[in-house]
Amino acid sequence: MQIDVALFAYLSKFQPDGASGRGARAFDVPDGATVGDVIEMLELPDEPRVVFVNSKHATDDSVLSPGDRLAIFPPVAGG
Amino acid sequence: MKKRELLRVNMSDLSVSREPLPNGWRRYGGRALTDAIVFSEVPADADPLGPHNVLVFSPGLLGGTSAPNGGRLSVGAKSPLTGGIKESNAGGQAAHALARIGIAAVIVSGKPADPAARYCLVIEADGSATLERVDSWAGLGNYELADEIAKTRPEGDRYSTIQNGPAGEAGAKAAGIAVSDPKGYPNRFAGRGGLGAVMGSKGLKAIVVSDKGLPYTEHADKEAFQAAIKRFASALKEHAVTGQALPAYGTNVLTNILSEAGGLPTRNFSEGSFEHADDVGGERQAETIKARGGHEHHGCHTGCTIQCSRYWMDKDGHYKTKGPEYETVWSMGADCGIGDLDEIAELDRACGDLGLDTIEMGATLAVYMDSGKIAFGDGKGALDALMSGATGGEPGKVLWDGALATGKAFGVEHIPVVKGQALPAYDPRPVMGIGVTYATSTMGADHTAGYTITANILSVGGNVDPLKPDGQAELSKNLQIATAMLDSVGLCIFVAFAVLDIPDAFTAIHDMVQAHTGDEWDADALMQLGKETLVFERLFNEKAGFTAADDRLPEFFKKVPLPPHNIVFQVSDEDLDSVFDWVPETAKEMGLV
Repeated sequence: MQIDVALFAYLSKFQPDGASGRGARAFDVPDGATVGDVIEMLELPDEPRVVFVNSKHATDDSVLSPGDRLAIFPPVAGG
Repeated sequence: MKKRELLRVNMSDLSVSREPLPNGWRRYGGRALTDAIVFSEVPADADPLGPHNVLVFSPGLLGGTSAPNGGRLSVGAKSPLTGGIKESNAGGQAAHALARIGIAAVIVSGKPADPAARYCLVIEADGSATLERVDSWAGLGNYELADEIAKTRPEGDRYSTIQNGPAGEAGAKAAGIAVSDPKGYPNRFAGRGGLGAVMGSKGLKAIVVSDKGLPYTEHADKEAFQAAIKRFASALKEHAVTGQALPAYGTNVLTNILSEAGGLPTRNFSEGSFEHADDVGGERQAETIKARGGHEHHGCHTGCTIQCSRYWMDKDGHYKTKGPEYETVWSMGADCGIGDLDEIAELDRACGDLGLDTIEMGATLAVYMDSGKIAFGDGKGALDALMSGATGGEPGKVLWDGALATGKAFGVEHIPVVKGQALPAYDPRPVMGIGVTYATSTMGADHTAGYTITANILSVGGNVDPLKPDGQAELSKNLQIATAMLDSVGLCIFVAFAVLDIPDAFTAIHDMVQAHTGDEWDADALMQLGKETLVFERLFNEKAGFTAADDRLPEFFKKVPLPPHNIVFQVSDEDLDSVFDWVPETAKEMGLV
């Protein structure tokens, strides 16, 4: 199935197509893949992160559906 | 700790005098001290721009020391914007300088007989202070004013400035007070609540503080102090937010995450995601600053280890303004539908020079756009509207008084204010915790008063689901108390990101305060300081006529769903009223009721 992936801050260098920028891009993943599976496929560093699926917080065991938008941030804050 | 004194400046008879800090206030600094003074000395029904209001500047308890991020300045008065008590907090160099001289607070009272008169308060490193007549500085923008002040200082001086721009002189309710940064740019702001108008009403154009040759203030126990700051600094370095993300991307790293979470107020709070978020976000900002040879990260005051400040350069590589910070990128950007960082930086520079709060002004411009007078996304139209106030023309004259005045004047239905102050950069519908803070804060809508974005969005200090009402009141209450404490100690509230996750960082705070002051401090004492601070604020506001009805969000947040989550604010009034249910008991302990 296909989902959209968007990686932010210093995680953007792990974009699946290797191109720069943070815009969401299409990514093929196995049916029933979880957030954790995708993180493994993207080879993201094993560090804390904040994950959204379709604008809602998600965890590594959240199961993805076709067309989902997955956005991943390292720990960030401001104010 | 150096003996602390109050510097009293009476603008009616132009006298300046020093007196000892009363013993009852010895455990107060920063926000606690400005509150105690405003509570004790300003009648709650005083005209904010009249002679009976006072304007107070106070460094925190750790001001003047080498405590990491310990140089914040509190500015307090009765607010012309909200009609309640106000503490507005700024970075910059002035807090450290005042503390090194031994000044716990500068209290400016009265009002000069001649409204055309302008004064500059000059405080020298030896503690002498004089009021100088500076009528020719009337109307100067903050950057030119900084240049004029520089001409008056001796070669090799080390000084900082506290400045009032033309907006404050004009009595604009959105006027803030500028504080000079380590390079002398007047770009750090006590922005919120119209305190620039209070300074303007007193004919005070600037304060200059020299701390040339003064060392850090001495400590009661130097060895213990050094050990505590070491632990505190390590925690700030170790935490991913304060050690990595903030220095790399600045506060504006939040734009993408809030847009992604559906909580970035867009086009006057009508949508929760902005299609240009990444065009104006912190990552793009950092790339652009680097490409233009700008300053990528530095502290807003000496001793800052987080280094989230930066300078924006124009396309030719010349300094334009600071940041812009996240709040400004949101207010002038997403909220106005403007997706270009250079246009946002122009608006930021204009506000900085005129002395206007960028949060209030961005929110105001968005309300103005919502009236249909100019279109959302019209950066040039926004700048023209803003600048029209400089000559007292329309619509600027109204805009400079903020979102509420503008919304009323132009018949806008959705005016995002609480207690007359505009909401900042998080929509309270999909981020319900911050809605509790906006509604209940003594300050009017203020994100810094109890920054629930930590647990609501950022997974800092735990997780509280932002889309549900449960647990939000408790989260906001605890953060409001902790923040009032940090503002009184003089620490930047960004240390909270580390403190919430690393228990020893919190312990290090009371160890630093104890070693510095020689008084006994522990965790309970710190939280008591936060509570006492809020008690002064709540009681002042009560006397000024505020009731539970003022601790509410505008109705449209409860009625109009916000895309993409399509939800409304759901925290009950009972929950909102529980946030300050402890106040009567603490007020009694303090002997105030």
